[in-house]
Amino acid sequence: MTPLDQDALASLFHAGAAQASQALALWLGRPASMLIDRLTRLSLIDAVGVLGGVDAEPICGCGMRVTGALSGGLLLAASDTAGLTLADLILNRPVGCSTNWGELEQSAVTETANIVGCSYLNAIAARMPGDRSGGILPSPPQFIRDYPAAVMEAAVVSQAAASETVVLAESAFRLAGVPIRCGLVFVPDRNDFDLFGAAWNEPRS
Amino acid sequence: MTASPDRTTGFHSDAIPIGEIGVARDSGVLRTFVGSCVAVVLQDRRRRVAALAHVMLPAANGRVTPPGKYADTAVPEMLRLLSLLAGDSVACTAMLAGGARMFAFGAGSPIGDQNVTALERALALVGIPITARDCGGACGRRVSLDVATGSVTTEMVGRGIQALEEDRR
Repeated sequence: MTPLDQDALASLFHAGAAQASQALALWLGRPASMLIDRLTRLSLIDAVGVLGGVDAEPICGCGMRVTGALSGGLLLAASDTAGLTLADLILNRPVGCSTNWGELEQSAVTETANIVGCSYLNAIAARMPGDRSGGILPSPPQFIRDYPAAVMEAAVVSQAAASETVVLAESAFRLAGVPIRCGLVFVPDRNDFDLFGAAWNEPRS
Repeated sequence: MTASPDRTTGFHSDAIPIGEIGVARDSGVLRTFVGSCVAVVLQDRRRRVAALAHVMLPAANGRVTPPGKYADTAVPEMLRLLSLLAGDSVACTAMLAGGARMFAFGAGSPIGDQNVTALERALALVGIPITARDCGGACGRRVSLDVATGSVTTEMVGRGIQALEEDRR
């Protein structure tokens, strides 16, 4: 298989992020803007801190295991406040109504992750090189509420077993008119080295 | 506060990043977050020195840097750093926290149990008893060591803060 160069890889994940942003806007009926959109290579320490450092409050989110033409872990994450606001919007409640993580609130976030995550992966799958066009299969999203560093630690362990650096695709979105900012992080498995060959090399200056 | 790791003398900062080892003498607080990783604390109460390592994987398999990342290299390195700090050989006890079965983002089996087992083996090899532990479950832990008192606390989302009780038998 032919590794993609840095620009082609960045373009692939940009397409995913753009589609995810549109899906989020459609799902919640509000304009969404993309705040972050990058494919990056970080030290292990920085990668674990992508969603928050040692003093960070717990986050909520959903994890999806991705297999097929692309393999790795996909995480949709937000602060507790943003997650509960998201649940309010989906459950058609006044913003601020949800105050804890009941079954309905968790389900609202899980469904959001399903829609946004699948849009992201579909856009990527449609642009994969010919020898990788076999489809991308996400697992059902699993609700997570935990410290950001603990979640990211689990996400990067596959790469960390072989390297002191981590390649990941990171995007973040903001919704108009409500205090919702959420992040979408894809961490490829180390065995996708052939596809990500260029990204694993030292970054270009 | 974060600082560049100094692998000659240990990580002199209160927040210990993944794969690193922090050391302190007499006072101070060492803390870290662990999910499937394990926080291992070694203390020599008499000499009032302590170390905390954030161990990520069971075995180095020949890799040497950073030693705190692997169970089998972290324990000897912690002992080296503590001896350096104490200016003498140390007699330590150990506490473990972490090793959760987190959501599996990547391929392979959950690694938390393997990390705990590898640390038990590494500690047994150098004759260090484990006096307290808070391991397993499905959530991450915020781990904090008060060097002056020797107390270790763990905090989990939804469970709150818990002090590790030493088994003094």
